[in-house]
Parts: sequence; C-alpha cells; structure tokens
Amino acid sequence: MIWNLNFLLRKSNSRFVLFCCLLSPLSARAKESVPEWVKAAATQVLPAYPPDTKAVVLLDDTTYTVNLDGTAIEHSRTVIKILRPQGRDQGLVFVPFDKDRKILSMHVWSIGPSGQEYALNDKEMVELGYPGQGNLYEDERIRAARPPGRDPGGVVAYEYEQRMLPYIAEKTWFFQDSSPRLHQSFTLELPAGFSYTTVWTHHSKIQESDPEDRRRWRWEINNTPAIDLEQVLHRPSALSLAGRMTVRFGPSSAVPKDGWQGIGEWYEGLSHDRLTAIPEMVTKARELTAGKTDFYDKTEAIAEFVQKDVRYFAIEMGIGGYQPHFAADIYRNRYGDCKDKATLLSSMLSTVGVHAALLMVDSRRGVIDPDSPSIVGNHMVTAIEIPQGYDSPKLRSVFTAKTGRRYLVFDPTWEKTPFGQVEHELQGGYGVLMEGPDSQVIQIPLLPPTFNTIYRVGHLQLAANGSLKGRVTEDRFGDVSDRRRALYTHGSAQEQNENLDHVLEQDFSTFKVSDVKVENAEALNKKLTLSYNIDVDSYARAMGPLLAVRPRVLGEDAPEVDQKDRKVPIDLRQTIQVNDEYDIELPDGFAVDETPNAVALDVGFASYTSSTSVKGKTLHYSRTYTVRQIVLTPQKYGDLRKLSSLIATDEQSRAVLKKQ
Amino acid sequence: MNIRSHLFYAAILTGLVSITPLLFADQWTTPTKEELSMTSQDGYPGIAAVYLDRDEITEDKLHVWSVYVRLKVLTEKGKDYANVELDYGSSSNGGGYTVNDISGRTIHPDGTIIPFTGKPYEKLIERTHGAEGYKHMAKVFTMPDVEVGSIIEYRYTLRYDDYWYISPTWYIQSDLYLRKGRYVWKPTNKQLISKSAGREHLTNSIGWLPILPPGAEVKQSRLPPVQSEVEGQLILELNVHDIPPAPQEEYMPPIGSFTYRVRFYYSPYRTTEEFWKAEGKYWAKDRDKFIGPGPKVAAAVRELSTPADSQDQKLQKFYAAVMALENTDYSREHDRTEDRAAGLREVHNTDDILERKRGTSDQLTELFVAMARAAGMKAYLFALTRRDRSIFTNYYLNLSQLDDDIAVVNVGGKERFFDPGSRYCPYGHLDWIHTYAGGIRQTEDGSVIATTPGEGYSFSRTQRIADLKMDDHGEVNGTVKITYMGEDALSWRHRLLRGDNQSLQKELRTNLEHLFPGGMNVQVTSISQPEDYEKPLTVEYSVKGAIGAPTGKRLFVPADIFVSNSKAVFPHEKRQLAVYFPYPHMLQDAVRIHLPSSIKAESVPAADKQMFETSALYVLTSEQKPDSVTIRRDLSLGDFLFPPKDYPNLRSFYTKLETKDQENIVLTNAQPIDRAKSISPSN
Repeated sequence: MIWNLNFLLRKSNSRFVLFCCLLSPLSARAKESVPEWVKAAATQVLPAYPPDTKAVVLLDDTTYTVNLDGTAIEHSRTVIKILRPQGRDQGLVFVPFDKDRKILSMHVWSIGPSGQEYALNDKEMVELGYPGQGNLYEDERIRAARPPGRDPGGVVAYEYEQRMLPYIAEKTWFFQDSSPRLHQSFTLELPAGFSYTTVWTHHSKIQESDPEDRRRWRWEINNTPAIDLEQVLHRPSALSLAGRMTVRFGPSSAVPKDGWQGIGEWYEGLSHDRLTAIPEMVTKARELTAGKTDFYDKTEAIAEFVQKDVRYFAIEMGIGGYQPHFAADIYRNRYGDCKDKATLLSSMLSTVGVHAALLMVDSRRGVIDPDSPSIVGNHMVTAIEIPQGYDSPKLRSVFTAKTGRRYLVFDPTWEKTPFGQVEHELQGGYGVLMEGPDSQVIQIPLLPPTFNTIYRVGHLQLAANGSLKGRVTEDRFGDVSDRRRALYTHGSAQEQNENLDHVLEQDFSTFKVSDVKVENAEALNKKLTLSYNIDVDSYARAMGPLLAVRPRVLGEDAPEVDQKDRKVPIDLRQTIQVNDEYDIELPDGFAVDETPNAVALDVGFASYTSSTSVKGKTLHYSRTYTVRQIVLTPQKYGDLRKLSSLIATDEQSRAVLKKQ
Repeated sequence: MNIRSHLFYAAILTGLVSITPLLFADQWTTPTKEELSMTSQDGYPGIAAVYLDRDEITEDKLHVWSVYVRLKVLTEKGKDYANVELDYGSSSNGGGYTVNDISGRTIHPDGTIIPFTGKPYEKLIERTHGAEGYKHMAKVFTMPDVEVGSIIEYRYTLRYDDYWYISPTWYIQSDLYLRKGRYVWKPTNKQLISKSAGREHLTNSIGWLPILPPGAEVKQSRLPPVQSEVEGQLILELNVHDIPPAPQEEYMPPIGSFTYRVRFYYSPYRTTEEFWKAEGKYWAKDRDKFIGPGPKVAAAVRELSTPADSQDQKLQKFYAAVMALENTDYSREHDRTEDRAAGLREVHNTDDILERKRGTSDQLTELFVAMARAAGMKAYLFALTRRDRSIFTNYYLNLSQLDDDIAVVNVGGKERFFDPGSRYCPYGHLDWIHTYAGGIRQTEDGSVIATTPGEGYSFSRTQRIADLKMDDHGEVNGTVKITYMGEDALSWRHRLLRGDNQSLQKELRTNLEHLFPGGMNVQVTSISQPEDYEKPLTVEYSVKGAIGAPTGKRLFVPADIFVSNSKAVFPHEKRQLAVYFPYPHMLQDAVRIHLPSSIKAESVPAADKQMFETSALYVLTSEQKPDSVTIRRDLSLGDFLFPPKDYPNLRSFYTKLETKDQENIVLTNAQPIDRAKSISPSN
C-alpha cells in the first residue's frame, strides 16, 4: 500500500478507535478566554455522588428555535467535569449531523485539573462516519474533538448551533443518561401563531416558565441522577428508564390532539406510495400461495419469503432513516433494512388480498411509552390483519386494535422467529400501528412459556468405573432455538463441533461426542432437534464403597444473581419453559443409598420443580423450570436470588450409590 | 515505534499524461456447471463461501491496482460477502488513491444473470484538517438478488495519485477457501526515492517476503524492451490454487501476520543483512540522539545516586525514579498545547521527558537507558515485536513490525534486561509480552538482531488461601487471601493504572465471585501494596455463603473451591496449530474448612499427582482432621508453547487434572441438610 496513508490500513468498526488515531498536528490555543458560562459551571460545588461516578454533566442547555417554515435552529451548551480516570472518554466531544442537520458553528473548550484553560480551533476537530459493520450505509456523520486536560478534575465544554430540517414537528429532549446532571434546561422558541404540547416519559411533568411574549418557554431540571446500569444483571434498557420530554409544535390550529394518530398520519404520507406492488411481485406472491386457501398458510408463505430471501442491508440517507424504499426496488434487489422488509411484506400480502400495516417498535422494551407519543423507536415490523372470524392456534402474537380489528405481529427482519410469533425483545413492549387515521399505540403480547421451550432427554448407562454413556436429545422451539438454528444453517462444521464441545464442557470435564444429528434447523415452526451420543469418563466419583452421581446430567439454568441492592426493574428477557428428563441405568453391584430431595418453588413470575427417583435399576431425574413474567419490580430480586440458589443447588445435587 | 516510508517518482512524469482505462467490462467468467450447482467445498463442510477466482494486478506505469473477485455463496452467512466496502482517501501532504470502475453481477444457480446496476455510496470514515490532515472514505455497494448458491462477480480498480507508487501485499489466505488466485505486479523501472524519517534513499531493488504453501512461488519474467527502454517490463506473478481458510483455534500462536501472503517492498538494499545492518545502524544512532543523556538527566543521576552505590544499587534507584513517572500509555497522551501551557518545549530528548515527569512506555525506557549511561554504564535500547501480537522475522524488511522498547544494561560485566516502560514491572524482569521476543538492539557499534530472555514458572505465581468455617446448615463464613506475584501481579497493577482503586476493587471482587460457587457474598477487605512493584500484590476478602450440594444426609463440597467453576481447557479432540499460553506460571491453592461438631467428613479426595513431561506438574493433597478438612492444589506450567504433536498428551494431562478437580469432599450431618426447605417466596 502507499506508505504514507497508514490510516487507510486500519480496519476498525469502532468510532472511538478511529478517533484515537487522530493526529494533533495543530494545537489548541491555550489561555484563550474560556466563556464565563463555562467558568461559572466549572466552579460549582458538587453534591456527593456515588464513588463509581465517572463524570458529571455540570450544565446542559438547549434552545430550540422554530421558524415559520418548520425548520429550526438548535443551540446547545454542555459542560462536563471528569471525576475518575474512566471518565476521560466522556470528555470526548461528539456532535452528530447530516445534510438535514447542518452544524452552523461549534466551539470546544477545556480546563485542565490545574486550572489551565484551552480553546480548540476548527482544524482540531474531525469528522467521522458511522461504522457500517458490513450491512449498513448511512449518511450521518459526527463532528468530534479531543480536548486537552481530560483528566480527573478537568472540565470539558462545548457549544454548537445546528440548523434542523425536521421530518416531523417534534423534538425530544433527553435529559437523563449514565452520568449525573447538575443543571439542565430546554428552551423552546416558537413563531407567532404557533403553539405546542409536551409529553413526559419516565419523569413527572416540570412546569415551564411562562413568558409574557408567549414565544419562549423554558424548562429547568436540577440534580438529575445517573442511570448507570453497567454492572447490573438482568438490566432493562437505560432508555426505558431515562427521563425525556417530547414537544410537538405547529400552527395553533394544526396541533393534533392525539399524538399517536398524528404520527401515524405523518408516516402514512412517507410510506404510502412505497407500498405499490409491481407485476413481478404479484406473480411471485401467487406462486408462493398457489394451492393455499387458508389465511395462515398464505401469509406464512409470503412472510417466510421476505424473511429468508430478502437479506438485511440498510441504506439510510436523510429521511431514509424513516422512509422505506419502494417495494419494487426491494423486491428486485432482494435486500433492505427493517422498514424495507416490512414494506415489501405488506405490499406482497396486499396482492393476495391480505391487509398489513407497518408497526414501529423498539427492541429496547419499555422505550416506547403508551402515554408519551413520539417517534422514538428503532425498528419496524409488520402487523398483518387477521380476517374477521378466522382463528388458528398458530397465530400467537395477536393484538386487537381499538377498531376491533385483530392483527398478527411478525418481524420479517428476525430470521429465525417462526411465523405466528414475534421475538422476545418486542414482547410486552409497545408499538405504533401505522394505520392512517386509525393509527394508535398497541401492546405486543407476551407469549406464554410454552412457545419458547427446551426439552432435553437422556437415556444413559453408568458403569462401575463411573463412566457414563448414552444418547441425549434436545428439542428447542421459539427464540431459544434461534442461535442454534443459525449455527446449524449458517455455521461451518468446525463451528458446529466447537459449539457442541463448549456446551458439553459446562457439565463434563472429559467426554467424547459422536453420531450428532440435527433435524428441522430450517423449519422454524418445527422443533429443532439435536441428538448425539456422549461418552463421559469419570462422571460418577468413587469414594470408598460409595459412588456419587449427579442426576442432572446436562443444562445449567440458574439465573445469574448478585448480592447488591436492587434499585432498577428486572428484565428476564424471555418467557421460557425448560424440561429435563434423564434416565441413568445403574451398574450391577450397586444400590442407591441416597437420592437428592425433591424441590419445588413457585415465586409467581417463575417456578422450579425437580425430583429424583429410582425405578428398578434406573435413576430417573426430572425437572421443569418456567419463567412466566419478564419485567419485575426491584423488590422481586430477593425471590430471584432464592430461585437461583435453589436451582444451582439442585443442579449440583448427587445421588449416592453403595457397593453391595 | 512508527517508521514510515514515502516513495515517489523522482522525475517529472511528463510522458504519463493519460491512463488507459482498463477494459474489463465484458470480461466476465462463464461459470462451469459444477460451479453453478456446487453446494459445498470438499473438506470444509459448512463453509460460508468460496473464492472461485481472485485476481489482483498492479501496474505501476498506470498507477492502477485492479481487483477481480468471483465468489460462490454456500450458506446464509455467505450472503454477507455480497456487501462490499472499499476504502480510499487522500492526505494533505500529497498522495492518495481512489476507487473506480466498479462493476459486477450476480449469477443464480440456474444461470440467470443479474447485473449490478446500482451506484456505490460514498461514505466518510474520517476526515482531519491541517498540514497532516487526511480524508478517509469508502465506496459501499451490495450485489443484487444474492441467494444461497449465487455466484457473485465484481471488479474494481484502485487508482493512485501521480508520483506515488505502491509495493503491493498479496493476501492469499483469508477466512474463505480460495480455489484459484492470480496475482501480478508490474513494477516501475523508474528510479524512485524513498523517504523515511527525514531520510531519502534511491531505491534500486524490489524485495519480498513470501509466506506461501508448498509448490507456490513468485515467478519473475521480463517483456522485451520497447523503444528506448534498456530493460523490458519486469513482471512478478503468483498463481495459487486450493488455499484453505486461515486456521482459527483457541490458545493459538500470534500468527495473524503469517497467513499465506507476499509482502513486496521497494528497497535501497540488496540483501536482508544489508537492510538490517544499515537500517539498524541508523535506528540506533537516531535513538541515541534522543537518549542522550543530556544535562538534566545527568544532574538527576547525580542527585539520585551516591558514588558509593554499586552499579546495581544505582540502577535500582534510576528504575524506581522512572517507575514514579506517569506512563501516558496507561493514562492519556498529552498534546502540544498542554505542554506549551505548562511551559514545556517539544519533546526532543530524554531531558524533556524527565522535565515533564511523564512519557510513553518507549520514552520512559529511553530515559532509563539515558540514566544508566549517565552513570557510566553501558546501556542499550532493544526494539521488539510484542509476543501477544506477532512474531518478529528478519526476512520482513520493515521496522514497523517492532512494537515496544526495553532496556539492556551491562551491570557488573553482565547484561541484564529491564522493562521500565511497563510500569510496575519488577526490577530486572520483563512483562511477558516482551519475553522470548525478537527484534533489534543497540550494540557498541550499531545494532544486531536479537531475542529477549524469558521468565521461569516460579516468577509468576498466585497463591490462593481460603480459611472457612462451616455452620450446621453447610454454609461457610471466612476469609480468602490471594497473593499475586510476577506477571500475575503486574496484570492487576496495569488494571489499576487504567482505572483507580475503586475499579480495581470491583474487578478483584468480580474475579473471585466468578471463581466461587454462585450466590456467595464476596467483599474485598484489603489490597496490600498495589503500587509497590517489588512486592507481591495481596488481596484479602471476606466470604460467606453456601458452597456445597446437599443430599438428605450428605453434603458434597468442591474439594478446591477456587476451581469449582472452571471448565475444560481443551474440549476439542482435534487440533491443527501449536498450543500457545501467555507465560509459564504457578498456581497454588490451599482451602481449609473448619467443621462444626454436627458435621463429619465422610470422604475426601485422595492425593494425586500428574505430570506432562517436564513441562507441567499437578499435585493435589488432602488432610483430614476431626474438625477440619484441608485441600492443597498446585499447578505449575513450565512452558508456554507446545507443538501440535504434543496436543493429545497435553490435553490428556489437563483432562486428568480437571477430572480430579471435580472430586468432592463428602460431609455427613447428624441432621438432614435440606437447604431447599428453608427457601420460600418472600411474598
């Protein structure tokens, strides 16, 4: 390669790594005046923060000035104080922009721990693109800076002005994140004749200042605590807890009363013409549904086509972050992002007389709040209308809209979720049904554990020397099968073998696997079956005349817990049911001296039962672990600990055999 | 270490005013029936895709590197290869390249051809400003209608700016199987000037480092001279076939830089020896200029030591002084602005580092060398390839393979090695990444290629002692003391440097929680000598919780509680590559459980000893008393590299000790131990 372009050789998906490689050929100007508002913020006395606080936002002021033509100018000031070495990265400055969000000006200052002041010039800032990870192109960029003095005790400040061309007359003020925030304000300036509404999410409403000119409103919040989930087990999404305020504005006569309806109508304007089907799509849909008359069978055929044969590749430029491509282009190219795939599915279904709408969701459960209409969301799926009077047990992720119409939620982007279900990330969360004037927020059902299952069966023989041989069969269905399905459809033989070795090494120290069989890896609506023979050395341990054997042969299900005080809700991710049945044929000359006690615990959101019995010369172990609810209050953490302890203890329990 | 070279054409290329576009548009390959219908590659079941063809042709005269790819998609994962991102860019001080002439097509297994008609997207990766600014972009495109079974075919050219030349590197081996590859370089016959670190060289030869499978070789040929040419066009060509994917295994040596490839370079040198002699000499002199020592270092040395000190005593004082300075590799690089604001000039030599009281690892090493020299000792710099990243080879004529510096000092007539750049590394020792590492070192009259020494297994040692008291319910309460020595202590101290006491404490607690049975309450009660690098790092904990699995009348307790969660090191039967551990080490555990009068030990694991040749030793002993059980377990690993032929026996050694580790202490209680019964929902 050309040797003076070393940067071109760097292969990195990390924005931070790229940024760290920035040379600093020109120096920031020291001793130039740091604005008074920065100095004032920097000299504040801080309240006591938890010892692991990395940095604190001393000041975050945003002024959002709306023009008559709907464009806006955003002016922002931020001051951050670094408290610990790990907080240095929070002193890196990143301001995102694109062609519809142009940065008009940007200034960065810093004050080192010694009090030395610095001001960066424009040439010391860099522009970065978002890493694509191989399947994404987007035109959003970041203007970034690496201010001097970013050490504990140092202060970093920046101010920028950005011209916004909003796609919808809405602005969300995010005022809570992983750092505590001392003083924050949001100011809204509207032209004459405009009015606004606000909705508050995860925070009680704050009263705005009420100016005399009725053109400028200001909200202030002080001492906002951090939401630091870095070390929290079973943590919910930070954004599902963080406070935010969404303000919608417009000419006084035009501000809609129902925010969700307004969002749906806006989105219909963006997407309606994208749904048009071309003749090739009609032909394909007919070909896929040929001979099928049942609603489920027809929709499944088309849905699986879009799910499996249209690969994920995102191209997002400007409004393209919200607006899908034309269904015809997606069909021809056989690629698209989530909203493209949802659009193509809706379009193709329409050619066989099935109506489907787009459903905006967020894979971070709890981010979409039914009481806070906004366009905050990160994913698009399809809501397929179910004909009146039609019913089928195969339709599982079903909701009924206020209109009385029933819909099946399906995500064609999620490659391994069976048609009729939806992935666990979306279950229990909310979505925005884009149905024009009938648009509304809906809740996606939480599926019962029986649609997400693991069932392990082992028929094994124990030898007097402690070795164990036999065949194990494991069935998986639902979300818990998706990684395995991906492995056995996408992975190489080496990857498959290594994965099975790693699964078995959790429970055996020395083993051999043979005769591995996999069934239904592609058939999402059938159980994925993995079966194999195992030959385990020293499975049972001799202790004089005794032989100790673990009846629970495979599978560790105890949820991970810690001993810290729990302050945030618990997210167990998915409902699930796990069953284990192991029959161990005992060696001649040994009798069972002792078996583990049966255990049973039901804590409401989950239950666990296990028992070990002896039938003739066979030791039989059976257990069932069920998770019924996934979002729990912090107060339930004690029960989760008890459940975890009980399962972990049961999993290590031994039966004792005695030599006759 | 960052030595960069610039190559450009010395003369004005008035004759090269136009570049003939490459006429590739119609030169697609018709797939064979076998290629259309293939569903797998023999010997590589489940492989995502296969390169059917890969051609790379570099023509210096045209300043063009053209690439042609034909790839068969075999699985869903293989579809990812339809997404292509091609980097390009330019720098403010001249030079750059663009990506042009992208074309392609997708062919379905039935022979249907879908041409690529899309337009590549221009994506910004990074743009900086100023005299050394650069713009790094990428062209992004994805092939149309790709399905499992499709053949993806595309080509593009990289066009380099005038006056700039490339010496290509051909990466032959990748994560995919390559059926056929053809690589051609037509180098310029013009005289080039190489610029490196302010020096200029007239290049007069081309060198290359071939890492190729048996039977493959770079062939040279020359076209007949044209017009006034003295010599015809030189052509370097490589044809390969059936190249397997690069192997990937756990505990593999750092051979990422040694997959099949050919690295070319224009060079002013004709032999390897000539290169290392000349470049090494220049490097040594250049470093000497920085090292000095200058007057400030000399003054510091006078202040730090007394004439009565032995060389070793002096050196220990210098080492301690350097260790006390801030190593910015563990904190943050400071820029010129901060230095200027602090009244500091640009860094030119070790005096400047001393004045700053901070520096990078290499700068601090150079300062240490300067201090030793100022005290009259013979001291040298040694630049090496980090052993965790790669392996040094003198056949690769490029100093960029050298990562870090260490110091070599003659103490009392004997050369000793020091690692002052690895903060908190004990005096006279090396961080493991710098042991057994190749590179070049300074000598009295220049430089020489050399290898660093290693550390014995007893240098890096961890002792873990648990003293636990069990209650009638089988729960324990007690203390744990872990003492880290050598490399084991150094790695924790480096974590401290990258964070603070708060984060170190959290990491130490989490580390023990992961070793112990789940649900145990672990608290760090003290951390001793975290910054005293000559002493062990000792951590004390209080622990509480259940450690065993009860049956009706027995309790099964892990013999060595510190390995109760450990998993098999080598679960896979087959292996291609050598096993490569970081460094030799020793792990010593002692666990004592004091029993209540109601609980008796029915059985304890018998003593055991396992050896793997002379490289590894495992010893487990148990001691049973009426009121206590004590288990001691020692594991020593004397080597770090084991060839593939040793794998079965090495694996057998590990499986035996892992099996032994799974044995339990069996306790019996007069009263049934039923922990489950005490558990009930809180509401």
